[in-house]
Amino acid sequence: MKKVININFQGRVIPIEETAYELLKQYIESLRIYFKNEEGRDEIINDIEGRIAELFSERLKSGVTCITDIDVNAVIASMGRPSDFEAVDGEPAPSPSASGAQSAQPVVAPIAGRQRLYRNADDKILAGVCSGLANYLGIDPVIMRIVFVVFFGVLFWVYILLWIIVPSKSVEANITKRLYRSADQRVLGGVAGGIAAYFNIDVWIPRLIFALPLIIGIISGSLHSYMWDWDFGFVPRVVSGSFGGTMLITYIILWIAVPVAHSASEKLEMRGEKVNFNSIANTVKEDLEQFKVKAEKWGEEVKASAQDFGKKTSSQAKTFSSEAGAIARRTGSGLGHAIGVLFRVFVIFIFTIIAVVLFSVFIALLFGGVAIAPLSDFILENSFQNSLVWLTLFLVFMVPIVALVTWGVRRIMGVRSKRHYLGYTFGGLWLIGLICGILLVVSVARNFRNYARLNEERIGTIENRERVFVDVEASDWKTHGNEFFGIEVDNDWPIYSVGDDSVMINTVKLTMAKSNDSAYHIYRVRESRGNGKSNAMKAAERIQFSPLRMDSVIQLPQGFFITAQEKFRNQRVWIVIEVPVGKKIGFSRNIESYSWYNVHNRNNRWDDYTDQDDWDYYADRPEPGQEYVMRADGRPEKIASF
Amino acid sequence: MNIENTQSQMRKGILEFCILSIIRRGEAYPSDIVEEMKGANLHILEGTLYPLLTRLKNASMLTYRWVESNSGPPRKYFSLTPAGEKFYGELEETWYELANAVNALTGVRPQTHPNNDL
Repeated sequence: MKKVININFQGRVIPIEETAYELLKQYIESLRIYFKNEEGRDEIINDIEGRIAELFSERLKSGVTCITDIDVNAVIASMGRPSDFEAVDGEPAPSPSASGAQSAQPVVAPIAGRQRLYRNADDKILAGVCSGLANYLGIDPVIMRIVFVVFFGVLFWVYILLWIIVPSKSVEANITKRLYRSADQRVLGGVAGGIAAYFNIDVWIPRLIFALPLIIGIISGSLHSYMWDWDFGFVPRVVSGSFGGTMLITYIILWIAVPVAHSASEKLEMRGEKVNFNSIANTVKEDLEQFKVKAEKWGEEVKASAQDFGKKTSSQAKTFSSEAGAIARRTGSGLGHAIGVLFRVFVIFIFTIIAVVLFSVFIALLFGGVAIAPLSDFILENSFQNSLVWLTLFLVFMVPIVALVTWGVRRIMGVRSKRHYLGYTFGGLWLIGLICGILLVVSVARNFRNYARLNEERIGTIENRERVFVDVEASDWKTHGNEFFGIEVDNDWPIYSVGDDSVMINTVKLTMAKSNDSAYHIYRVRESRGNGKSNAMKAAERIQFSPLRMDSVIQLPQGFFITAQEKFRNQRVWIVIEVPVGKKIGFSRNIESYSWYNVHNRNNRWDDYTDQDDWDYYADRPEPGQEYVMRADGRPEKIASF
Repeated sequence: MNIENTQSQMRKGILEFCILSIIRRGEAYPSDIVEEMKGANLHILEGTLYPLLTRLKNASMLTYRWVESNSGPPRKYFSLTPAGEKFYGELEETWYELANAVNALTGVRPQTHPNNDL
């Protein structure tokens, strides 16, 4: 079953199978490339198209309903492919009018297809250097590209140099052999099998080359007993060995980038003509010899023209000046070319850096996400928000990376699609990710919308003391708790320890005030945010924070727990210690561990935030390791530090 | 030494000559030229004929006129210009010189120029 389309071809409507149309289009495109430098290119193509249209019309008149692949192939066979022209034609000859009808062509005609080294203008990813080199040596451009990618460090400057020096030109494909993955000889992806077929060697040789670093890595890795430690065990050790890593990456790139040989013709192409280092060396040698002949000839020409020039100096002064101008222009454009190349290299460099940064951000977020994952339960309200998080992470960061890799592989494979489905898909997915991210932020922010503060409660009174010391409980679990998944959590974090079901929060504020009688009084104010005033109130009520001891020492807990059901809504505790006038109060250095965080939005008119929430609003905030005495005017005075 | 290459080089040189001689006999349509050459056992791809004709036309050796066709788009019928006639005459001369020289060297009985036969 095939789709038939109607095309307007040379003024005729021709029903043609879609595949046949693709064939025809490719063929005409190949002609266009072949006759690129021909003076009457368009006319030639037009004539050929006209003839093809005529043949099609005849075919349709004979009673067939549409043009099939067979018809197109028959037409192409009778018209001849560009490769056939080359065999007949020798070379796309310059028009006789240009060189003068009588003048003989140079004897040294380049051998068909194998010309000088050019950058390939038709098949390029960057500048066509790899493709041109591959064509010159008669090997598959994919191989050349992979060589350049793998040995990037060494060959980078070679590439740039060739980019600047070697001229660009459409080069007719000169490949008799292509690199495929072998479907018949596969262990993993058939890469080794394909390479063996390409270089005409036994399949165990490439296999061993690929496998050796892995084997060594596994053996050496298994010798280490701490293999499964949190530094990710043996896998990075195999990857980090530069040789092993290179081989592994090469294998994976080849696996992705190289197609499998399915059809018989592809398998033939896989074996192809013998390509080995001899043939490559021969090519280079041949070319050098040709170059020598050319150079000698050129030398003669120069000599002849110099003599000629001598004769005609006087009459041609004018011509000379214009020629010199042309040469100067050419030199200028050569410099411009070099600058252009450097600029493009720079741009590509920047893009690479962006890609790498994007990737590392994603990886960091992934690991960070894993580390925060236990905490997410305390912030995210429901599965909706949870899925938003994952969608955002995946779409915003993963999609560009996948897109980048896909793009790279397709460029390496030379697949260039006219349709932009893939681009739109990736772009759309990324936008969805962005929208998810915004939704997430909005929906999480809603949970912090309202603010509630419970009335102060007196939770303790200490009588008959001249001096009170405020201390914070020091727990062992803290040292365990401030590191999880290898990421150290700083003391600045408001959240300390993660249990299975609860976290400890230390947003506690201490202040001093004047007592109206002769006793120390301890007050507690609990506050929280939430989605709606009542929710915020409830969250505040659930805070459990009471001094562990109240005699000459007030020992406060390190924080308070919230459970996964309660959620983190920036719950805070404010402890006010009323000190009788003339009596002393000291604060342990441990009070440093308390933090105070503000989550608020000044632009939100429902946000009943006040300046009182600021830590610094109260001047009588005690400093760690200080002793104070309460003055009659209600302001504490520092008397000693320890 | 590649025999095919040498053969195609030899063939290539006389191609223009043959095509011009066919056209000289009367207006010709490219695919007719191909057929005629095929009949003389000189095989040529149609795809190589068109560029050759275009080159000759651009060098004003040939001219063409459009003829409506009932089996497709209008056809181009080629004919020789006076310059083409002159060009052909020179080629013809060269050809007989060459043919005689080659025949003499390879031992085949020398062929005379048809004009001398009269």
